[in-house]
Parts: sequence; structure tokens; C-alpha cells
Amino acid sequence: MALKRINKELADLGRDPPSSCSAGPEDETDMFSWQATIMGPGDSPYAGGVFFLRINFPTDYPFKPPKVSFITKIYHPNINNNGSICLDILKEQWSPALTVSKVLLSICSMLTDPNPDDPLVPEIAQLYKTDRQLYEKNAKEWTRKYAT
Amino acid sequence: MPPQDLPKRSITVTVVAADGLIKRDVFRLPDPFAVITVDAAQTHTTSVIKKTLNPYWNEDFEIEVMSSSVIAVQIFDQRKFKKKDQGFLGVVNIPVSKYLDLTREGNEMLTVELKKSNDNLVVHGKLIIHLSTKVKPRTNNADAPVSNEAGTSANGLQAPMSSMNLHDSSTALSAAGPSSLALSRTPSAQGRVDAPHAAESTHMSMPTPQIHRSPSATAASEGTGEGSLASSRPVSGSAQNSPSTATGNGASLAAGAQPNRNMGTNEDQHGPLPSGWERRSDPLGRTYYVDHNTRTTTWHRPNANQAVNASNQQGETNAARDQHNRRLLADDMVEAATPNRSATASVAPPPPAHSGPASPSTTIVPGSGSSQTTSGTGPLPAGWEERYTPEGRPYYVDHNTRTTTWVDPRYQRIVRVVGPNGTSTSAQPQSVSQLGPLPSGWEMRLTSTARIYFVDHNTKTTTWDDPRLPSSLDQNVPQYKRDFRRKLIYFRSQPAMRSQPGNCQIKIRRNHIFEDSYAEIMRQTASDLKKRLMIKFDGEDGLDYGGVSREFFFLLSHEMFNPFYCLFEYSAHDNYTLQINPASGVNPEHLNYFKFIGRCMGLAIFHRRFLDAYFIVSFYKMILKKKVTLADLESVDAELFRGMSWMLENDITDVIDETFTTNEDRFGEMVTIELKPGGADVPVTEENKKEYVELIVEYRISKRVHEQFDAFMSGFNELIPQELINVFDERELELLIGGMSEIDVDDWIKYTDYRGYEMNDEVVQWFWKCIRSWPAERKSRLLQFTTGTSRIPVNGFKDLQGSDGPRRFTIEKSGDPSQLPKSHTCFNRLDLPPYKDYASLEQKLTLAVEETVGFGQE
Repeated sequence: MALKRINKELADLGRDPPSSCSAGPEDETDMFSWQATIMGPGDSPYAGGVFFLRINFPTDYPFKPPKVSFITKIYHPNINNNGSICLDILKEQWSPALTVSKVLLSICSMLTDPNPDDPLVPEIAQLYKTDRQLYEKNAKEWTRKYAT
Repeated sequence: MPPQDLPKRSITVTVVAADGLIKRDVFRLPDPFAVITVDAAQTHTTSVIKKTLNPYWNEDFEIEVMSSSVIAVQIFDQRKFKKKDQGFLGVVNIPVSKYLDLTREGNEMLTVELKKSNDNLVVHGKLIIHLSTKVKPRTNNADAPVSNEAGTSANGLQAPMSSMNLHDSSTALSAAGPSSLALSRTPSAQGRVDAPHAAESTHMSMPTPQIHRSPSATAASEGTGEGSLASSRPVSGSAQNSPSTATGNGASLAAGAQPNRNMGTNEDQHGPLPSGWERRSDPLGRTYYVDHNTRTTTWHRPNANQAVNASNQQGETNAARDQHNRRLLADDMVEAATPNRSATASVAPPPPAHSGPASPSTTIVPGSGSSQTTSGTGPLPAGWEERYTPEGRPYYVDHNTRTTTWVDPRYQRIVRVVGPNGTSTSAQPQSVSQLGPLPSGWEMRLTSTARIYFVDHNTKTTTWDDPRLPSSLDQNVPQYKRDFRRKLIYFRSQPAMRSQPGNCQIKIRRNHIFEDSYAEIMRQTASDLKKRLMIKFDGEDGLDYGGVSREFFFLLSHEMFNPFYCLFEYSAHDNYTLQINPASGVNPEHLNYFKFIGRCMGLAIFHRRFLDAYFIVSFYKMILKKKVTLADLESVDAELFRGMSWMLENDITDVIDETFTTNEDRFGEMVTIELKPGGADVPVTEENKKEYVELIVEYRISKRVHEQFDAFMSGFNELIPQELINVFDERELELLIGGMSEIDVDDWIKYTDYRGYEMNDEVVQWFWKCIRSWPAERKSRLLQFTTGTSRIPVNGFKDLQGSDGPRRFTIEKSGDPSQLPKSHTCFNRLDLPPYKDYASLEQKLTLAVEETVGFGQE
């Protein structure tokens, strides 16, 4: 059952924490909702920011992907105003062999390398493609404003 | 009260007849029936005998009595059962011990004077009744005069008034679900007056979710739901708007499965949505709006302006109605689509006057022969399939060699073991019952010397050879071809599908169509419902020559299947195919409603009407008693389907740490269900994972809703016998229930996307040429093959939905020209290999669409 697997992942995270992110249950009584943090990667305009995310495990976890969204506002072509993330491994590319730790690392790498060809916010994607400097400026400003 | 330890035993009471009943009306005679009650508990009802003062029933009932028991037999006039006195014609009370010594065997024929009841209405006449300690085996019910017709015999005892029926079934059901307490309506209170009755059923139809939900969930959803709706209800007169509180609860319940959001699903940053609308997000986080009134979706926020909205809504309902009206009964469509049949063949389902009924083979119920073979000898060899001729005779398709034969491959094996003499004897051991009924137009006769011969009325020839026996040429075997038309003709020609003499009046108020229909349809017996349907909307003239009942089924389907009532919900697959809501138990009455819906569906099929409702494929398969497979899970839960498929394709060691259980979130409470006894202690391993996947699929699709589904089928089978519906496959069943329409191919082409192909590619051009040449049914089948349903959104192909939001019909260049086309119903996508010429495209596409039911899809 899902709970067993979730507990195992929590133990693994404690034993071998991934660099620049962390995750755990918000409340010990409900193992199905977690909170996570991601440090803005140093080689990205999000550097210096701390981003909070919410993780909800479905009852059929790990057969179904966890639902992951940003709590902290972030300026990114693949993350919208509601914090929804457009990432294939959270949708049809999910596999039960993936874990929360791997998902967080994928999100980290997405912060460094956005995918403007499959955007959730077309305006930001457009800017990313045409005026990288302005995009970085905006992203830094949002990071300073919301994530520090 | 008698002491509990008195010995009980079963006895048979035969209500023989009544003699000289009172004639209360000058101009008409009563339609008497008798109600047998034992100690105010067990209730049985005889059939209704029309227009007589001397009814003769001769019906047996098995009852359980002790020596202190009193058997009460009341006689009523069925035509007046709703009047104040319920058409009461007299009662007798029979103390058992006075006539029978229960410690011994014995029987007694009694003639008892009818007595009056408390309200002092004058009665007279006698009742003749027979008591016997002998109990017949159950099957002897066939003696009862009602059951000479296949439909009712299945149900054995049918209460003529469904108040009885309802009462009975509810008590039976309450054993299964503890929550049906609310159903304590007594038969007498119910039949009496119409007005309080209606009030009661209104009350019943309101789901009462508060009872079962955890306190927190209730508080939250109630606040948003009720508040917003109260202020925003459009004033349109459409029936859908009436249940406002139920609406709020229902919508928020449905949303309960999704992650909590800050706002309710029926409001957004601009304020509350109009009634019947729900805000949803697609997987990309984009917001769209679902209009439950018309079952449509749109990207545009519905206008808050009430007047505009009401007219919009009206417009959309009308659009849906137009679309519904464009659909035709599958029968007519199929008839029209086969112009090159000879005139004799296309005469619609004429009752074959000279075939079955008169001949000696009438004793054989269609399908009984086949069910014997199926149950008796286990599964068919791989690649074989059992099918039925329009006459119901089973034949066998060998998909390996693409040949057909009358001979059951399983049976053949047995014969070979039994008789080693060779093939010539193989036909001999088959008894008549195993052969099934004669083909239509054939008759069996005896010569003066009692030798059997056969008359073929079709060709006006006679022969000694039984047409059912395999000839050496096997030429009578249906060719390798599915034929919906012939199935329909067979289906319609069966005795159980013929209308009964008389009328079945159903009177409803347009604004209370759900409650009124429930009361009206559950009130009648199944055989009454088989009479000519006469629907009347209260306060409207208009005689039902078809149009009124068409409108009736259209409106009723929008109500019955409306997700607000929590009985059905839209599938995950798109926003319009329906499935049973596993949480329907929030309405403690739900099982009675499922039975009602089953009856309505049977009623529509029986009377050649159709419903404006489309279901997920597995629902049709369940009706046909077919096994559901992993592929069926895709439309129920695409994510879980992917997880399960992954599991089968990959080594799960050290990845999956599960036991044979599954978790379910029931209104915030996590429930663990064992998939098999002791499943919590059985770990899932690489070796047993296949079984696990099968059990998960079975649980998610059928087991989880089996109570609801069984109730549904109990109502459905009252009108449509199982062995008759089984002649169809699941795609044909969808067309039978939902009707068929001529598909607008231009619209289809206009809103089709291509991947790997260009619109002008030769293959694409061939594809559309081929589609245009097809009859309507096959077009529908292609749509079913690709999208999972033959339903087209109200606004046409541009609004086609996939499991992840709007998805147009898509043709992808994929696969080898030697292969068949494949489909991904989740994405409305057809994988079309680049065939080399038109002929092979046509052949491969036809084969895929015609022959791949339940397999071949991804």
C-alpha cells in the first residue's frame, strides 16, 4: 500500500538527502501531504531564492504520480500563476520507479533549463526565446520579491 | 405475541379463485388481484385478472408459518389501487392451526366468505383457497398463468402494484446497505393519495450527503456550494435548475477527489458560476468550464448575467436536443443503410408467424442451448469465438483460420472421446435441445407416419434434413461477418420483445420529470411497461405518437444521469461519457434509483426509443456480462492504467512494495480493501503481479460499483432478457441505447489533426474516401474504435475531448503497412500505417473496426 512506500521514501531522503532540496510531511499525522523546499540553482536567475512546494500523494501512489506544485511564486515558462508545473514525469511520463527525490531534482534542472517549446505561460516562453536578458531580469526580481 | 421458539415450516398456499365479488361501478368490472400476507410480514401478490367478478388465479405461493400464524388474503381492484379505499374488495383471515396440523402432512381446500375491513365498505363473494404442507420445488412457478410469456417468468412473482414491489425490494436491499432506513414507506400509505406521495418522492430524490461525510468536509463544501448557488440561480424554467442545495453538495462532492483548492468548483475570481456550471482545471492548469445542464465544456466563462445565461442555457439544451433528434433508432438507421438487400429481407422485424411458435421446437428458449454449451464445457480454444445467428443459434468463429462452423470446437472434442467411430456419428449425440431453435422461416412437422420433416417457408420447400445439423458442406453457417442489422431483426422478433396488448400510461410534470417518472415507472409491473407507451406531460395536449416519448427519454436521461444526483459521474476519459459514481451511497436511496434507471433503459430499448446518454465501454461490457480487461481501465482511470501497464512491462522487484490490497479515499477517510481474502498478508511479487493487476482492474471497474450495477441490472432485465441483449457486442449496444446519427464527415475532416501526415497525402485522402463510402454504423464504429464512444460533442468535432483536455480527432502516421490500424482512445488518436493502395487501406481499416472489440487497442 501507498503508505509503506511513502515511509520508505521519507527514510531514504533522511539517509541520503539530495543536494539543494528537502522534503517531508507537513504534519506527522498525514503522510500523504508533504512540503518540499528547493534552493534556486546557482547558475540560474533563481539563485539565492528558497522555493516552497506542496506534494500530495494519491492513494494509488506509486502507480500514479504525486501532485507537485509551487507555493512560492516563481517566474518561469513552465510554471504558472497557480504554481502548477508542466513536467512530463509528473504526467504521462511518470513511472513507479521514480521517487520524490528524483522529481525534485528534475524540477531543479528545469529551473536551470526551462523548456520554452512546451510552455505553460506562453508570454514568459516567448520572452525567454527572444529577450533572454529581460527574462532573467524578471526572474531575478520575482525571486528577490517572493523567494527571499 | 407467540413465543419465538415455535417451530416454523414452509407450506404452499394456492389462491385458486374468488366468486361473486361486489360490483361497485355500474359500467365497469374490477381488475382483481389478491395480496397474501403472513403475520403482517411476508407479502405475495397474484397477477391481475382483467374485468371480472369471478377471478381465477390458481397461483401457488410458498410461505413460512408456525401454528399461531394467520394468513390474510386481501382482494383489490387494480384499477382503483390509487383511490382512497385502494379498490378494496374484501379480506379473509385464516388461522393456520384451524386447518392444518403443522406437525403432520395434510392439505385443505377452503371456501371462505369475504369480510369487510375497518372502513365498513360493503363486500361480498367467496374466496377459494388451498393450503398444503407440500412444498413444490421452485421451478414449478411456470404453472402460474402470467408466466406463459418469457419476460415475466424470469421474475417469478411480480407484484402488480409497484408499491409492493418497492417495499419488497427495499427491505431486501437494506440487508446489503445499512443506510436505507429512510425507505420505511408502507404499501398502504403509499398508494392512497397522489399528492403526499409526490412530496415524499421529492424528498427521496434529494441526496443526503451530510449524513456520511466527515464534519470538516461538510462544513467547507456547504458554505461555498449553497451560498453561491442561492445568489446565482438563473431564472430559466428548465428542469435542471430545480435542486439547488443538492446541486451544491453534489458538485463539491464530485470535486472531492481532486486536490483541495481555495475556491469551490462553482465559483471563481469573478464570483459564483451559474447553477449547473462547474469550474475545472485541465492537467496543464488551464481553467475550463463544465456545463452539467447540457453536458458540454467550454473555455469561456459562462456569463453571470442571468437573462443571457438562461437563454444561453436554453440554447445549448436546444442544441443538445437537436443533436438528439438527429439521431435515429439504430433499427431504422441500419435498415436504411442496406439498400441492396432484397425486399423480403428488409421487411422489418415481422413476427415470424409460421416459424418458431407453432413448431415443436417452441419449448426451446433461444440461447438456452448455447448457455448449456458454454457453462458445460469451459472456455473455447484460443482464437475461437462463439457468436449467434439472428435466430439465436450459436456458431463458432475460428479467427485463426478465419472460418466459421456450427460445430462447437469444445463439443467436438468430447464427441471424439466418446465415439471413436468417426465423424459420421459426431452429429448424432446432439439432442434437440442442444441444437437450439430452427432458423427463422423454418418449421418442423410430422408426416402421418410420425416421421419428422422440415418446411422452409422462405423457399417453400421441404426436406428430411434438419437445417440445424451440420451438413457436409456447412453452407448455412453465417459467413465471417458481423451483422448488426440481422442481430437487431432477431432481437426485435423475439416473443419477449413484443408489446403486450393495452396501453402503458405515464403521466409526468415537465418540471418534476425525475420524481414523477420514478413514481410512475416503479409503480407499474414489468409486463405493464411492455404495453404501448403513452407518455403525457401534465398540462400539455399532444398525443404520444412517438414524439412525446422521444422528448420524454431525452429529458429524463439528462436528469437521471446528471452528476448532481451523484448516481452517475463523467468518466475521467472525457467530459461526457458516464460511469456509475462509486460514492452514490451518499443518497441512501441510490439502489432503488439504479433499479429505476435500469428499468428506464430497458423501457427505452423495448419501445425503440433511445437515451441521450453514453457510457464508458466497460459499462456496456458489464451489461453483456463480458470480462473487463486492463484496456478498459484506461477510460476509467488513465493514470492508474499507465501505472498498471508499467508494472506488467517492467521488473517490479524493489520498486513496488505492495500487498493484495488497494486504498480508497471515502470522503477523506482512507479505506484499505483486500483484493482477495487475506490479501493484506500477500505481497505482490514479480511472479504474481499479473493476478494483482487483474484484481485491481476488476475492483476499480466492476467490484467497486457492483451493488449499484446489480440493482441497475435487476431493473434492466425485467424488460430485456439477458440472453437477448447478449447477441450484441459492446459497440452495438451503445448504438442500441443511444441511437445512431449520420455523422457529418465534412465537420469531421475539418477538425482532424495529423501527425506525420499532411492533409493532402494520398493515404489521408484514401482514408476519407473510405469513410465517406461507409454506412453510418461503420462510421460510428470507427469513432468508437478511436475515441471510445460514438458520441459527438454538441458543437461538433471541434469540441472533442480527450483524457487531458480538448483533443481533436488525430491521425498519426505509425505502424507498418502489414499491420492493422491501432487506436489510443485516451487521445482520440488513430495510428494509420502508410498503406500502399486504397484497397489495402480499406481492407485493413474495415477489419480493425469490425473485428477488434476489446483487444487490439492500446
